[in-house]
Amino acid sequence: MPQKKYSFKLKSSLSELDKLCQNVEKFGHTIGLSKKFIFEINLALDELFTNIISYGFKDDEEHVIKITILPQNDTLCLCIEDDGIPFNPAEVQEPDLKCSIEECKIGGLGIHLAKNLMDEVCYERCGDKNILTLKKTIAETESN
Amino acid sequence: MEIIEEKQDAISIFKLNGRLDSNTSQGFEKKIFDAISDGSKNMIIDFKDLDYISSAGLRVILKATKALNREEGKIMLCAMQDYVKEVFEIAGFDSFLPIVGTVDDALQSF
Repeated sequence: MPQKKYSFKLKSSLSELDKLCQNVEKFGHTIGLSKKFIFEINLALDELFTNIISYGFKDDEEHVIKITILPQNDTLCLCIEDDGIPFNPAEVQEPDLKCSIEECKIGGLGIHLAKNLMDEVCYERCGDKNILTLKKTIAETESN
Repeated sequence: MEIIEEKQDAISIFKLNGRLDSNTSQGFEKKIFDAISDGSKNMIIDFKDLDYISSAGLRVILKATKALNREEGKIMLCAMQDYVKEVFEIAGFDSFLPIVGTVDDALQSF
């Protein structure tokens, strides 16, 4: 697999979700990832990006969120960088999934999905930036 | 995302095509709740041509299920791609939402 870095920038608007998806699909097809694997990284990035847009910025300015994808041997590393308020998704409490339907709440579900779809979620705050690194192992059958 | 709405007997069938995400979930929510306002109590959501769902889509399904439960109605989900079904499982929604193979299977459950 080529160890080539792929990165792109998104504006702080939900309408950028289509661009996120197009970029992930383009990259995934280039290195031969399966439809399922592309779906999973797309969903994890979508949930974390949507969360940043919804809660990360306390002003009305336009911000830039940078996404980097880096294949490293059998692992795919994804990095999300934003200049929003400090927020560590890795520390968010897991939602109660054993509740009845009437008690079931949707809050925190997006982050729960992202964490479950990835093998590793690592957060650091560098200056005024949140840097979130996600890792997922690419199974033998995934790439060709 | 394209939503095709059909009615078979008294059952509303919504066929989803494309992506159900934060951008498209509001349109979907409106369609479902318009149908509930018009008296629909039983619904089938056909996922056969749905390529993508995020928590924004799950939220609408959850809200609709709660509303239909209050009306003593029922919602059935069918024909999901494996990776879409996986999202329902990770979210724990498969414990209270019936997911079946085809529209016909769903119709027979009413």
